[in-house]
Amino acid sequence: MSFLHIHNVHKRFGDTHVLKGIDIAIEKGDFLVLVGPSGCGKSTLLNMIAGLDAISEGELLLNGERINDLHPSRRDIAMVFQSYALYPSMTVAGNIGFGLEMRKVPKAKRREAIQRAAELLQIENLLNRKPAQLSGGQRQRVAMGRALVREPQLFLFDEPLSNLDAKLRVDMRTEIKQLHQRLGTTIVYVTHDQIEAMTLATRIAVMRGGELQQLGTPQSVYDDPNNLFVAGFMGSPSMNLVTARITRQDGALVARIASANNEVTLPIVRDRAALEAWCDRDVMLGLRPEAITDPASANREDGEIHEAELEVALVEPTGADLYVVTRLGGRSINARMRPGAPLSPGQSTRFAFDVSRMVAFDPETEARIRDETDATTQVTARPAALGQNV
Amino acid sequence: MSAGSIVARRNTFTRALLYAVLAVFAILYLMPLYVMLVTSFKPLEEIHQGNMLALPSDWTFAPWREAWGSACIGLECSGVHGYFFNSIKIVVPAVLISGLLGAFNGYVLTKWRFRGHKIVFGLILFSCFIPFQIVLLPMARVLGILHIANSTTGLVLVHIVYGIGFTTLFFRNFYESFPDELVRAAKLDGAGFFTIFFRILLPASIPIIVVTIIWQFTNVWNDFLFGVSFTSGDSAPITVALNNLVNSSTGVKAYNVNMAAAMVAAVPTLIVYILAGKYFLRGLMSGSVKG
Repeated sequence: MSFLHIHNVHKRFGDTHVLKGIDIAIEKGDFLVLVGPSGCGKSTLLNMIAGLDAISEGELLLNGERINDLHPSRRDIAMVFQSYALYPSMTVAGNIGFGLEMRKVPKAKRREAIQRAAELLQIENLLNRKPAQLSGGQRQRVAMGRALVREPQLFLFDEPLSNLDAKLRVDMRTEIKQLHQRLGTTIVYVTHDQIEAMTLATRIAVMRGGELQQLGTPQSVYDDPNNLFVAGFMGSPSMNLVTARITRQDGALVARIASANNEVTLPIVRDRAALEAWCDRDVMLGLRPEAITDPASANREDGEIHEAELEVALVEPTGADLYVVTRLGGRSINARMRPGAPLSPGQSTRFAFDVSRMVAFDPETEARIRDETDATTQVTARPAALGQNV
Repeated sequence: MSAGSIVARRNTFTRALLYAVLAVFAILYLMPLYVMLVTSFKPLEEIHQGNMLALPSDWTFAPWREAWGSACIGLECSGVHGYFFNSIKIVVPAVLISGLLGAFNGYVLTKWRFRGHKIVFGLILFSCFIPFQIVLLPMARVLGILHIANSTTGLVLVHIVYGIGFTTLFFRNFYESFPDELVRAAKLDGAGFFTIFFRILLPASIPIIVVTIIWQFTNVWNDFLFGVSFTSGDSAPITVALNNLVNSSTGVKAYNVNMAAAMVAAVPTLIVYILAGKYFLRGLMSGSVKG
């Protein structure tokens, strides 16, 4: 039995179907990140776990107990809100201790708990201040302190970093991750930022339009996307997507990417069985920027490198990397090359494609085309946990 | 001469004009107050000499003492002080209760929304636009049934009922922009309906509380129609007493006493404005930005 089980959960507001049967199961100590564009229903799902929104259909199980109809305060859940939601008229200590006060924890014990939480978050010197006197990052800490102090079974974070400036956001992200590792808490975290999702999560749930697109470890979601949406949403710069024709060349299956001025043929090594059925048809090919490199920095040990000569259209140095844009199949293709590579627009150079990382999608349904064996291990990270109650 | 200095000169000119107009209006508004004040400190003979605007040559507090303690209102000659306390007895509970009810209404209408909350708010709002005259007769009947006609308690009820519309409007608009996430956080923390209201919302409502108090205080204190309709004799508020004082003449009109009594009637609202006026504007603004 999994620790938190969201089982076939629906949400309707009048005629609008906001969540269309979400199934997610995580274990104790997991860091689940719900990620998706705005309006995908991720915040609604979080609010339903918190008990702030009613569940229209389906079941919510926490530690084996059905919590659908439990009042928010009785679910043993704490939440950190996007706006921090600090009580303006109370001091920091009052804010952190309010939940304990409501639960009638004796004053001495309360003070002790507040002190402990404050030490953990390094805000001891702020305990007597009012929220208005705090900076954004400090407010963020107080909001987390308010959640931590209660030692709940489950933490919910609703886009907690979106109000911070870029630098602070990265720092706080690291801190949340450290906190999670140190305390071993179970966390459900909502964000629209896929980098946050990748860096924090042990499980990522990608959502769109009220439907779960994929659930899995960050790496599996990144390397093995279920569909075109997940492939495009995760990763920055995003995955290169280009139309290709699957054909047979010298008996082997290949993908031919052609346009008026150039043509590249890449061998198919991944999902070969499934792609057999697509022979002489168009698919959407996906290849991450880091899977297209200069020949020198190509990973020939783990990958399968196929080189092609192409013209450089644009060079974008970021310091750590050099992104080189070329045109292929009528699309801009982004390649990640070693910094300092002597390239300039208009020049021709060799691009190394790691075809072992190539993924293919049905251009109509946008679903991934993949081999059966592959699919069963990758679709969901824990098929057993999901399968039990289905 | 450069273009800049022409603009500057035109600016000083319009500015001077502006201040002149403002000064005229200020004098216009302050003149009656000035006349009232100086008259109230003059002996009667001095008033009869004319020259309303002159300062008293012989300052006297006698008119104030008389107005407060011994002026005749009808047949009773004990000044306005009893009626002054009547007004206090009406204003304090009426303001507190209508304010609290309005705050509750605003809280429920924004943070505990129910089906039809807009209609309910619309109806409450509508009560702001009902003319006083329409409710006079039904209200008299209600007070009669409740056996609180001709009493300050009756007037308290009238002012509460009449005030709820405005106080609800104030608090609803204020709480409309009060973040829902705070209420949600408090719910998760285990706070109930009343705890959230008294511990989270109310302490953050000082500006709108001040607005409500000023608004209700001045309205209730200055009310004449309800006072004259529903009370008589001892239970009348000071506005009614002032009218009666001025009308019960015993030969010579004691203008100085009348003016002193009028000042007594006006002082509480003046004090409230001076103490809380700063918050009044601020509060009205904060309520109206997001409404």
